[in-house]
Amino acid sequence: MSKSVRIAVDIGGTFTDLVLLRGSDTHFLKQASTPERPEDAVIEGICHIMRAAGVTPGDIAEVLHGTTVGSNTLLQKAGARTGLITTKGFRDVLEIGRVRTPDMFDLTWQKPDPLVPRRHRAEVRERILTDGTVLEPLDRDGVVLATRQLLEDGVRSIAVCFINSYRNPVHEREAEEVIAENFPDVPVTTSVSVLPEIKEYERTSTTVVNAYVRPSLSGYLTSLERGLRDMGIDAPLLVSTSNGGLSAARTAQKKPVFFISSGRSAGVVGATRMGAAVGEDNLIVFDMGGTTASAALVHNGELSRTNEYEFRAGISTPSRFIKAGGYMMRVPTVDVAEVGSGGGSVAWIDAGGLLNVGPVSSGAVPGPVCYGLGGDKPTVSDANVALGLLPAELAGGSLTLDVDAARRAIERDVAAPLGLDTDAAARGIADVANVNMARAIRAVTVERGVDPRDFTLLAFGGSGPVHACDLARVLDIRRVLFPPMPGVFTAMGMLAGDVERYSIRVYPTLLGQADFAEVARLVAELQDEARATLGEEGYSAGQVRLDVEFDLRFEGQDNEVAVALSSVAGELSRDTVRTAFLNAYLAIYGYVSTDEIEFVNVRLIGRGMREARVDFANVGAIADAVRERPANRRVYFASAGGWCETPVVDRQMFSGERTGPLIIESSDTTIVVPPGARASLDAAGNIRADLED
Amino acid sequence: MTRRNIDPVTLAVVNSALETIVDEMAYTVMRTSRSPLVRDVLDYSCTLCDAKGRILAQAKTVALHLGAVPEAIIAVQEEFGDDMAPGDIIVLNDPYQGGMHLPDIFMFKPIFIEGVLQGYAIVITHHCDVGGRVPGSNAADSTEIFQEGLRIPPIKLHDAGEPNKTLLSLIRKNVRLPGMVIGDLESQIATCNIGERDFVALISRYGADQLSDYLDELLDYGEKLTRDAISSWPDGTYTFTDHIDGDGFDDRAIPIVCTLKVDGDHLTVDFEGTSHQVRGAINSTFSFCKSSTYSAVRCALEQRVPNNSGVYRCMTITAPKGSILNPEMPAPVAARALTGYRVQDTVMGALAQAVPDKVRAAGEGGNTVICFGGYDRETREPFILVDMINGAWGARHDADGIEGVTNPAQNMSNMPVETLEAKYPVRLEHYGYRTDSCGAGEYRGGLGLTRQYRLLAREATLQLRSDRYDHPPYGLCGGGPGAPSRNVFWREGAREDLPSKVTRFVQTDDVLRHDQAGGGGFGDPLKRDVAQVASDVRDEKITPAFAAENFGVVIADDGGADPEATDKLRKQMSAR
Repeated sequence: MSKSVRIAVDIGGTFTDLVLLRGSDTHFLKQASTPERPEDAVIEGICHIMRAAGVTPGDIAEVLHGTTVGSNTLLQKAGARTGLITTKGFRDVLEIGRVRTPDMFDLTWQKPDPLVPRRHRAEVRERILTDGTVLEPLDRDGVVLATRQLLEDGVRSIAVCFINSYRNPVHEREAEEVIAENFPDVPVTTSVSVLPEIKEYERTSTTVVNAYVRPSLSGYLTSLERGLRDMGIDAPLLVSTSNGGLSAARTAQKKPVFFISSGRSAGVVGATRMGAAVGEDNLIVFDMGGTTASAALVHNGELSRTNEYEFRAGISTPSRFIKAGGYMMRVPTVDVAEVGSGGGSVAWIDAGGLLNVGPVSSGAVPGPVCYGLGGDKPTVSDANVALGLLPAELAGGSLTLDVDAARRAIERDVAAPLGLDTDAAARGIADVANVNMARAIRAVTVERGVDPRDFTLLAFGGSGPVHACDLARVLDIRRVLFPPMPGVFTAMGMLAGDVERYSIRVYPTLLGQADFAEVARLVAELQDEARATLGEEGYSAGQVRLDVEFDLRFEGQDNEVAVALSSVAGELSRDTVRTAFLNAYLAIYGYVSTDEIEFVNVRLIGRGMREARVDFANVGAIADAVRERPANRRVYFASAGGWCETPVVDRQMFSGERTGPLIIESSDTTIVVPPGARASLDAAGNIRADLED
Repeated sequence: MTRRNIDPVTLAVVNSALETIVDEMAYTVMRTSRSPLVRDVLDYSCTLCDAKGRILAQAKTVALHLGAVPEAIIAVQEEFGDDMAPGDIIVLNDPYQGGMHLPDIFMFKPIFIEGVLQGYAIVITHHCDVGGRVPGSNAADSTEIFQEGLRIPPIKLHDAGEPNKTLLSLIRKNVRLPGMVIGDLESQIATCNIGERDFVALISRYGADQLSDYLDELLDYGEKLTRDAISSWPDGTYTFTDHIDGDGFDDRAIPIVCTLKVDGDHLTVDFEGTSHQVRGAINSTFSFCKSSTYSAVRCALEQRVPNNSGVYRCMTITAPKGSILNPEMPAPVAARALTGYRVQDTVMGALAQAVPDKVRAAGEGGNTVICFGGYDRETREPFILVDMINGAWGARHDADGIEGVTNPAQNMSNMPVETLEAKYPVRLEHYGYRTDSCGAGEYRGGLGLTRQYRLLAREATLQLRSDRYDHPPYGLCGGGPGAPSRNVFWREGAREDLPSKVTRFVQTDDVLRHDQAGGGGFGDPLKRDVAQVASDVRDEKITPAFAAENFGVVIADDGGADPEATDKLRKQMSAR
């Protein structure tokens, strides 16, 4: 039997999700995560799911992986002791940062400690000018001395970032060589190897994150690969990048900064593929779990990406123009806005009498009141169970929910202070959570000049399908899609991903003076490079897709607008590129200037289209047991004036078209179809809800 | 408070929606503006007002601008009354008619639905130049408003959607960098349009009448939270005096005197006793004085308080006519931000007597502004670098002051070293913390910053506005003051110490270093955690000598604290 089995593994805070695909059979498993040694849950999960599916290690063609090791290392500050070597006079660039604060007027704010404290930031003599000229040569002895001192202080990973190195990398490369000659065992990250771009803080921070996370991610992947080999699995291990692509594990070991949001982004890629399979080119991808909810955009079949984000204690607000005290990474990332609203978010009344939900979460422990594990603060899940939206037992009967306790907590903490009845208070909690989550969606739509009403909402994650239809109403979205297995959809997304390679050429010039023969040459050069590297990974010319973008802006601006080569009408020239840029700019900002346009970069995204990629149009049977459900339960719908006797069906048994109110349950989540909405099944196994006008 | 039919959930929705709108406006300015002072340093602000000119929400930008908005709207309304139509865009910058100082151009877009005025989208941007006698239009040593640049009374920049070509060409002719100024005006227009679009959508969703109830309620809510806070402060009258070093013409100290009265749930802030208006350009409009006072008081309130006009209702602010905080024509005002910072420090000093745990010791005293303006050696193209150095906070009652941070009144950023070098004929030789500049205390102040510039152009005009040279940032409750600021200049190796405010010609290879003041400390320095002192020494944030002299901590040869020697020294010091 040829190798035909593919396994995707996504590690989350509570569960490690696995999906195994063999031909048209799909198996899934939620294995309890093992945060101390995450690879244990992965290995154990793979053993279980292989057994359940009846496959042997030799059948496995590839293992795809989304890992939270990178983000957890940052979150828990558990990275390697890292040293930074920098230009004399600029020791504090990393710690000074961009000097803003995330909130106004907050004198209690604490600036997070830098990943490298001042004592481990060493200066050496060297200077490169803004045009790349060397003003002062590198002090090689100074590099050796500084490194020796850092190693004596217990440093285990070194970052090197010099001023203006983006214009001339010679000193960083030289420093790397000098360190390698003298201290061959210490890993070195130079800034030009991860981000050869202007702005010293952003580049330093990105480099430092890489150096900081590198030993732990590298160690984890080495250990995981060993574990797989010990099981007899010799298939390649591919890791999901922050940008939603897949990359060889050895790349992740050297450049972990590109993998910090590994996993989360894969769900968005999966959503894009799912959209393509069912003819939905415009999607808002909505993922809601226990502590956070996130939103991303798929527009005209392309998912939206950003080149910069900040890691801030796990929660990033939609105010993305603030750079403040997170760990800044300027790397390509799926543009995901995240808010601190999840099933576990706590509802509370502030001193002025205003109802708030989150960002404090009850987490897995003590959890919502209804779990009966000691939680005593009402949460979004408590509101959902009080409203009848969630069943009285979860996860196939393993957890019985205490509806009365949930209602009592809501009554005490929310209803009484606001003078509402319990039902209205519970509904209010869910509504405020929906509004917070709508902010995340607005951040990726309205803020980009995109109207959410033109989009379909695709909802997954444990809590997403409960809230999706209400959230859609808040934003005037008319259609909601619920993919098969929403609870493990992120792992499915990896199976739908491509291998991706990014490359960039800087070509700074005024558009009016740009030489398009040179631009065409740069494009060809990038394309040749991408074909060659993807060729090395086994992709033939026919399996490679190359997308070219130009970054342009008005003279003097700092932010570029990316113009896809495919959006340039007619032959590549100054005029056609100008027209494409002006159209793109107008669409975002509602005006255009008559000023000069600057050409900045040529960028290429090369994709190796894996033959084995999952085809959502043709996902086979899912191995999930059908359980007995009560035929009806009472559910509170504000739109219907209160409690409604509502039919409950098992997802596996759902067929035809039915009008809400309706509850559709599966072992991983609950879909709520409000009164008046019409639910149906599409060819790819999605449940689709069409909301009435 | 009036009783309205308010649904608490909708109230939360509307509050959130308003915050989202102003943040989206701010994001648009950042993405579309041209001048590094705006796009990188973020010297701008955005807000949304209702038809009565009441602030509904503020973006996370320069807060100090926004308290001046209500008076600016009054100026606009007095000028135009009902003569406003959809598609109008109004600008102004005249400090004597609604503005603050000439570089800050206010832009208002009145928002209409079916012909009825609903409110205003407002963007204030600090432009890199508005003409006048020195590049950057910021000089501290002008003596009349007429030297400071182009004065724009409230004028329509767009009249029902039609650009006012006369005004645009007048602006173009009167500024040194017309491309950048017009580009930043376009960015303001785009931002007003975004604010208008989103506010109209919000109104359409709830209906103008219903929304108006919610807006009233939110303003009342801001007021209620503020009154609750003030009520919890001890009643009494608290007076505090702080100083500005001098006005750039002489170095006589300029006192700012604040008398703050807590009376139940109301605050009265009076600046009687403050200096008469001065010859140099650090006079502050009364609107800006009020804005600075609001921002200081706002810092003492809970985070949850919405940033709207409801907060302002709880305060009465007065300043004598003809004083530096309420100047009369034609007093120059270009460098007035400094005075605003000192007002904030003074109000916080008074608040500290009532509620020391709600404020902080003085910080760096406001950003230092360094401006190099001139013409490129070959092309004769003008360049104007306006650089702002931020900053350090004073210590809090339970925490050290932050270092490398914006003044709380503004939320500005810093210009990247590499951007600065790529755009201007200036090389930065140093940007980092200034060792030993913190005020001592149980909690120490933040370290000031040092930034050192070398001019590469043949010649330029240097404008330097700093302060806290003679009057360092104060400490609180036994904490020491931060180190005073210093300006050092080198020409051909010869060192010269400069005063705090300078305008002079400089030439190639001249070097300027600014050492910023550090934040003041809080509490008795001899109570500071010994391990923390040793840690600061290890980080070379303070020297062993500073540790011994200020904290009584003796550092041993291995870099750690020597417990016995420390104990002995601390006993000696407390006996003194």
